[in-house]
Formats: sequence, structure tokens, C-alpha cells
Amino acid sequence: MAFYEQHIHPKPTTFLSKYIFSYDHKVIGKQFLWYGILFLFVGGLMALMIRWTLAYPGQPFPVIGSFLFPETGGAVPADTYAMLFTMHGTIMIFYAITPILIGCFGNYCIPLMLGARDMAFPLLNMLSFHLAALSGLILMGSLFTPLGAAAGGWTSYPTLSTLIGSPGMGQTLWSLAIFVLGVSSTMGAVNYITTIITLRAPGMGYFDMPLTIWGLGLTAVLNAIFLPVLGAGVLLLIFDRLFGTTFFLAGAAATTGTGDPVLFQHVFWIFGHPEVYILILPAWGIVSDLLSFFARKPAFGAKATALAMTSITILSTLVYGHHMFTTQMSPLLTQTFMTLTMTISIPSAIFFANWLGTIWKGSIRFHSPMLFSLGVVFVFGLGGLTGLYLGTVTTDLYLHDTYFVVGHFHYTMAASVLLGGFAAIYFWMPKMFGTIMNEFWAKIHFWITMLGLNGVFFAMMLVGYGGMHRRIYNPFIYEFTQKLIPLNTFATWSAIIMGFAQIIFVVNFVYAVFFKKEKASQNPWEVGTLEWTIPSPAPHYNFKEIPVVKCGPHELGNPNLGNGRDFQYQTEELA
Amino acid sequence: MNESKFAEPVLNTDQNLGFFEMIMPPEDISQHGHEIDALFNYTTSLNIFFFILVCAGLFGFSYLYHQSRHPKPYYTYGNKKIHILVSTIIGVAVFIGIDLNITRMSNDDYIGIFTNWPDESQEDVVRVQVLGQQWAWNFRQPGEDKVFNTEDDVVTLNDLRIPAGKKVIFQILSKDVIHSLYFPNARRKTDAIPGRITRMWIQFNKPGTYDIACAEMCGTYHYRMAARLTVYEEDDYNHWLAEANQIFDAINDPEDAKIYWGWKWTPTSSTKKVGMSK
Repeated sequence: MAFYEQHIHPKPTTFLSKYIFSYDHKVIGKQFLWYGILFLFVGGLMALMIRWTLAYPGQPFPVIGSFLFPETGGAVPADTYAMLFTMHGTIMIFYAITPILIGCFGNYCIPLMLGARDMAFPLLNMLSFHLAALSGLILMGSLFTPLGAAAGGWTSYPTLSTLIGSPGMGQTLWSLAIFVLGVSSTMGAVNYITTIITLRAPGMGYFDMPLTIWGLGLTAVLNAIFLPVLGAGVLLLIFDRLFGTTFFLAGAAATTGTGDPVLFQHVFWIFGHPEVYILILPAWGIVSDLLSFFARKPAFGAKATALAMTSITILSTLVYGHHMFTTQMSPLLTQTFMTLTMTISIPSAIFFANWLGTIWKGSIRFHSPMLFSLGVVFVFGLGGLTGLYLGTVTTDLYLHDTYFVVGHFHYTMAASVLLGGFAAIYFWMPKMFGTIMNEFWAKIHFWITMLGLNGVFFAMMLVGYGGMHRRIYNPFIYEFTQKLIPLNTFATWSAIIMGFAQIIFVVNFVYAVFFKKEKASQNPWEVGTLEWTIPSPAPHYNFKEIPVVKCGPHELGNPNLGNGRDFQYQTEELA
Repeated sequence: MNESKFAEPVLNTDQNLGFFEMIMPPEDISQHGHEIDALFNYTTSLNIFFFILVCAGLFGFSYLYHQSRHPKPYYTYGNKKIHILVSTIIGVAVFIGIDLNITRMSNDDYIGIFTNWPDESQEDVVRVQVLGQQWAWNFRQPGEDKVFNTEDDVVTLNDLRIPAGKKVIFQILSKDVIHSLYFPNARRKTDAIPGRITRMWIQFNKPGTYDIACAEMCGTYHYRMAARLTVYEEDDYNHWLAEANQIFDAINDPEDAKIYWGWKWTPTSSTKKVGMSK
């Protein structure tokens, strides 16, 4: 049996086998999507509570504050505040963005775009989601433990995250949840890599894969290499907390031997810096494809874009030290990490040029996925350029641990990835659920979100430049932050606007999934990749016959085409 | 001791600020803080230039090549020589124009100033040991014997006093969790880590009182881990130090183990120099 001829499972009949214990990559993708959206809501609500506290410290959080924090009359207490930003970071990174971009679109798109009937390891795929669900349960459960959830920041630096700084179950459960999630993501990553290598349709070379698959594949490589590192780190942390080891303990509390808290920072950021690219690479891939699809011309320099993404993947493993400049590494290491960090801008600039080259002389259709993709180009431009201040060591000495950092990584990780995720949802909606979301409301959603997120994240960078440091409950007890009150208030109201804009999305989404009668056509966006050669929504086992690929994924606008279309399917001979 | 005799509090909290005054960083009171500001501003100007290019492409192309204005797309893979050349030039221009440029500047400052430790045997420097704890800063300056961790040390809590115009060397340690000693007015911060001593040197030039904060998350009351920095004119400082010496001589109980949280001072001039310059 050739690799691409997969066994076909019988169609599931019961509710359990169809929606819970499904081997089908499409169902697992949807499971991850709902999971991600649920956590996006939780994490977003936490973000609003954080923002509210920063603008109006000590004042009751509107509407639900008095239910959540009755003992303070509705205001967020200081210890809860620490829990909120810890959980906000953890949830958004590991439980919202990862499931939506990687879990959902990785699972959904990889087999469909490669012309495969399922993932290489369907059982592993199912277990991967079940472990993610278990991990989510552990994390949410930790909110109800006696001393509350983890409160040491999403980075959970020891010794704050050891028993010295965080007694109670919360931090242990946090570490356990991250460990379980790491196992889940590693399973997914192994699956993705194997699928991409072995299950490409006959005729499909690596450069015939859509750039989405390139992004997802490179993400999977990073995940498979570096999540085990994080797993090892949090496991050692669990040992320190439960079994009395002292890997990360030092100072007055290390009575039975001394470890080194900075060791954890190394372990964490060896994983943590690639993690940034783990989150953004799928979005880059998706945007590279969508720009081409909606500009109706081939992706400009697609090969260069793919290679640039690959070199960023490699470079991302060599630069983690720029997160630790203030721990005073040796100057030689500092210089090395600074210089390596700067080299990342070469591939970034190249694929930025390619993105602009793609829309240059195109015939652009401004559908909602295109708007969101252009939004990604804008916010990632801002986010990428502001990274320069943090890469050079001297400016980092001032800006490290200020809101400038927070604004910068929200631009790169939150804004870009969120917009990329929305672009993907709007774009693949017909293939996933068989309906198209309302375009008008999608555009309204885009513009309000864009307005809100730039308001909140740019204001964050400004207050950071003003010196306001991170993770503080009441910033205004300092003299030098007094003047930043109006900017913080502005950021908060921008966040509220952005939050409310998501209601538009949720209503639009739920309506399209459950209530919309009007079915989408097989190929509403008129593009040629393999998933659009089959009916919407994608049928059980995807392809009746495994397609044979004859051209690249971005064959649009070819003047030689004589069939009344301006695009051709990947299964057609190049005109 | 009457504090107001020495220091007039400097308030930078005028509430009727314009937008650009509002977003300016705190007043720079140090000798070298302006180097950091200069690099920041330089990077900003380059960033604005390149971001305008990105926006010009993004919005310009979006307008020009809207399907109603430009129905026939230009069919190209972007693999012609001229396309590859332009992409490469952009990549290299960004790398050389921004990155290497600011890396060189930052490296020069870093090696030439921030890790160029003043020679204690040659120069008259002020030495301070800092111990972070949840949630306070302990500062220790040697007494008349010039030796650290003896019973005549001047030990203060959340209150650092140093003279203007002299180089100050800090050795920083933490008792419990990681903190970060942050001087917004000098643009500097250095982590306080349990189990390892970190160092920083700053020259403060402008007398007044300023904020010191903890920049690294260190627990529930992280936000309240504030200390005051008082920069004196040199005469005032000597006056204060003499007075403080007497007071601490009187109140420090040599039998009390608790007062010996300091450590032996390792002079910076004795440490090996690593790292490349230029």
C-alpha cells in the first residue's frame, strides 16, 4: 500500500463516536476550534478585568464584579489580580491561540490541503485532543483550590513559583496542566510532521504545498523539539514543589542545598522564544496564501517566503537569551544573543517584501479574510519593528519588564495571531461548516477589532516607554507613573471596545454554524487548492479518489486560462 | 534628623500635560541615561521610515489594485531577476540600515559604558549593597571602616541616599524570590536573584528624590515594592553620612546576627573582563 492510500474508517453512527471519540481529523479540528473559542472568552474576560484594574484601581468591576469578588465589593483584589494576569497569559497562549491556529487549522487543513484522507495517526490525533481537554480541566480546576490558581506570571519564574513564593495547589496544578498540554501538543506535532512528509498527494512536492502547510509544518517541528524542553522544566518545578528537590531553589530558603533559579529561565526561554514563532508561523503561512488568493495572482516569491520562514524557524532557536539581558549574563553572551536576534530581520524583511509584492499589481477582492490578512501585515509590521528596541541590549535595560514589552508581544502574538485566526475562520468556514458567514458583519467586526486592538496595544507601548512596569496592581502609587493615568484609561476603553466587537463575531459564527439555511457552494472564494475540489462541507474521508497534483497552489490570473475561470485547481495541468 | 534640610522633593506629576509630554519617559537624572534615550530615538526614526514604506505599500496597493480599478492582475511568480533583486535589497537594507547600525551603537554603549566598571582602586566611588526581599529593598553602605558587613554599616530600608556626580556601584542580591532593582530616572534595571550577586553602576547627577521600583513580578505586593532614591549634593551627602554613621554606631547591636545580612565586597577591578569591544 502506498503511503497515500489510507485505510477508510467506517462512518461513525452514534453521538459519542461522532463527536467525542472521533478519529476524523475534521471533527478533531472543530473540537479544537470550540475549545479555543471557549478559552478565548475566558482569557479575554480576564484581560478586561486586568485592564479595568489598571485604569480604575480599587473600583468595582462592572456588572459581574460583585458576584466574583464579594469581599471587596466588586473590585479585583491584589492577589486575584496576580492570578488573573498569570492565567490570562497561560490561557491565551496555550489554550486559545495554540488550539485555534495549530489544533484546529492544523488538523483541518493539513490532510485536506495535502489531498489525504486523514492524519497519519488518527488515534494519536484523538488522544491529543483528549489530553488537551484534560489539561484545560486541570487548569480551570486550579482556580477553585484553597489558595487559588497560579499567580507567578505565565513565565512562572522560580523561586516565586516554588513553595517559597507560591504555597498552595494552584501552581502545582498549573505546572501539571502545562506538562499535559505539552504532551498533547507534541503528539499533534509528530502527527503533523509525519502527515506532511508521507501523505502528500502524488505529484505534490514540498514547494507545491500551500504556504499554510509550510507554516503549520514548521510550527510542528518547533513544537516537537521544544515542548519537551518546557515539559522537562515544569517537571523539575513540580519536583521542587512536591518532593523537596532544589533544582531551582537558592537564597535563604535553600536549606538542603542550592540550585539556580536562573537555570529555569534558560530552560523556559529555550522553549519560550521558539514558542513565539510556534504561534505566529501558522498565521504567516495562512496570510501568505490568502493574500495571493484574494489578490488573484500567484504568491510573490513563494519559494523565498517558504525558505524565509524556514530560516526564521532555525534562527528562533538561537536567540532566546534576549529575554534575560537583565539577569546579567556574561557580556559575550549578551553580545552574541543581541547580534543573532538582529539577523532575524533579514528573513522577516524578505517575506514582508513578498507580501507586498503579492498584492502589487493584483486585482484585489476585499472579502473579510483578505481584510484580516492585510490587518496582519499592518500589525505585524508594528510588532516586528518595535522588537528592535528590545533586541538591543541598552534600550532593553530600560524597557525590559515594562509595558513596552507587553505592547510589543501583544502586537506580534496576540494581534497578528488573532487576526490571522479570524482570517482563517472566515476563509475556511464554508469548508468546515458548509455556510458562509455574513460579510457585512465580518467587515464591521474587522474594523472595530482593528481600532480596539491598536488602541490598547499602542497605548501599552506608550505607557511602557513612560516607564510603567509590568504586572503591577496599582501603577499609580509611583510618582513617575502618575502622568500615565489618562493613557491607561484610554487603553482600557479600547480593550472594552475590542472585547465587545467579538460579540459580533460570536453571533455571526454561531448563526452560520447552526441556523443558516443558505448553503455555501463548493468553492466560494474561487481558489485552486485541493480542499476546494471537494464538496462543502468536506465529506467523510475527504477525497473519493486521491487527487493527483499537477501544479502549484497559487495558480490565479494566468492569462493562458481559457476555461472561463481566472484560477485553476491543483489537479489541473498548468495552462 | 530633619529630612527637608537636605532634599527638596522633585515632582514630575503635572497633570496638565500635552500628549507628547505625557508619553515622555521620566526625567533623566543620570550621566548615561541619555545614551539609551538617544538610541531609542534613533531606532524610532528608522522604524518610522520603514513603517511608512510598509504602509505605503499596504494602503497604496490596496487602493491602486482594487479589483474595480485593476481588473486584470499581473501574472507573475515574483521569480524574475529584478523581483529577487528588489526583495534581497529590501532585506539587506533593513539589516544593514537598521539592525547592524543599532546593534553597533548599543554594543558600543554596553561595552564602553554599562559594563565598563569604574576602577575602585583608582576612583572615588560609592559602594552600595542591595538586598531585595518580599516586598522591600534593603540598602547597605559601609561605615567609617569602609568594610561591608560590620556593625557600623549604614543600613536603610526602602531609602537610598547617594551623592550627585559620583559613580555608584551596586551589588544586588535577593533573599527570597527574583526582584529587579529599577531606576526609571536612570533608565536602568538589574535583577536581584537569590544565590547570585548581580552588579550595576550608575552615576546620578541631579539632586532630588525619585522613585525606585521592583520590575520583576515578585508576589502579591510586587506593585508596592517601592523605595525612595535621594540624590544629595556631595556636601549634604557627607553631612548625612556622618550623622547616619553615628546613629548606626549607637543602634546597631554587634551581637545581633540579623544585622549581618551583607557580604564581602568583591571589587569590580578584580574581575576578569569578558566580551568583545568594537
